[in-house]
Amino acid sequence: MKLSKKVVLLGHFGVGKTSLFRRFIDNEFSEEYKVTLGVQIKKKTVQLPDGRELSMIIWDTEGHSNSIEDTRKSYLLGSHAFIYVFDVTRPETYRTLNQDLEYLKENYTKVPAKILGNKLDLVNEKEISNHLTSQNIYFDCLASAKTNKNVQDFFSDLAKEITK
Amino acid sequence: MEEQDKLKILKELLFTEEHEFADSIAQKIEDLTKIVHQKKELSHKVDPIIDDKLQQFVLEIPKTLGPTITEALREEIKNSQDAVVEALFPIIGKMIKKYIAHEMKLLSENISRKTKKAFSFKKWFRRTKAKAQGVSDGDLAINDYAKPRLIQMFVIEKNSGILLADYSPLSEDTIDKEMIAGMLTAIKSFVEDAFHGGDQNLELIEYELYTIHIQNFYSYYVAAVISGAYNMMFKEVLEDQIIDFAKNNISSKDLKDSILFTKKLKKYFADEIV
Repeated sequence: MKLSKKVVLLGHFGVGKTSLFRRFIDNEFSEEYKVTLGVQIKKKTVQLPDGRELSMIIWDTEGHSNSIEDTRKSYLLGSHAFIYVFDVTRPETYRTLNQDLEYLKENYTKVPAKILGNKLDLVNEKEISNHLTSQNIYFDCLASAKTNKNVQDFFSDLAKEITK
Repeated sequence: MEEQDKLKILKELLFTEEHEFADSIAQKIEDLTKIVHQKKELSHKVDPIIDDKLQQFVLEIPKTLGPTITEALREEIKNSQDAVVEALFPIIGKMIKKYIAHEMKLLSENISRKTKKAFSFKKWFRRTKAKAQGVSDGDLAINDYAKPRLIQMFVIEKNSGILLADYSPLSEDTIDKEMIAGMLTAIKSFVEDAFHGGDQNLELIEYELYTIHIQNFYSYYVAAVISGAYNMMFKEVLEDQIIDFAKNNISSKDLKDSILFTKKLKKYFADEIV
């Protein structure tokens, strides 16, 4: 049976959602910053450990400037997972993280939300990890769309989780 | 008589002619001053000269300024092609529309003429149908060619945009249907959200030669891509067929099994719709 899942990328503007999207799907990266307007959608077929194939339909939404509540709600409906992306070099992009997660939990009860800190290539992994923990910021993964560090593993783990 | 008076009389005798000449010049200057200060008078005198010069100028423009203007326009068009196209598009569009309407009329008349000459039962039937409908059999023949046809049908989960089933009577299958299903859903959600339509749904998308007919159900929607003249009659038949299909063929089990769903869709819509 064919499996398809909708995964939505969320987060403040400029955190690198589109870069992660392009890195995961096309294995490409560009330094050029172009603001995403509305949403862009692409698909990647992932091979699951049990031999099944999963079509991950990734929705790359435009970034918000204040809170996740600014994101168009209709883009979030029917999602099978959310990926909340923040920029490890810009504290303003993770300052509202806990409230945003609370909002997602309340409104999309059954949808898992994964947190990813991007732009790891610009900081020291251990230092930023300690800093985030001290700030009470929970994350599932620290990655870099630029160097591809932890990107593919993160999406593979997500694919397994949403098909359990 | 004193010396000074004598000199004065002598001056008058000697310069009589010069005095008269000076007076006449003064009079002419006065007349000219009047002309210059009175617009009407001046215009009366100057207009014929300006008219002549202007006429000459107009005649000489193509020779003198023509190449410069042409070059300047050419440069301007080259530098701002988008603006030129933007400005010309509506005008050209109207011209094309008029031209096509004219050509279609000629084509229709041509077909009518030819069909009158030939005889076959099919043509006889069409001629009778045309008479009954009050249109020319040329128009009817053109309508046959522009008949709406199903190009592709998608059944898409409403919120997620996940493709549940799809069918196309065409053999070529190059587009990524799952991405199309996602984008259609995003467009639909955006339109429905943006205009605060409440429970209203997007039902039609038109682009050039194609129309996307959208029919909404509770948890999914059907998007049918149609080529040709999508008209009210076709819309009604298509709507009825989709409702019939949904009512008689789709169960909640089918919504979870896209392979089975696709098979059913293919079987049901394999025949021509109208």
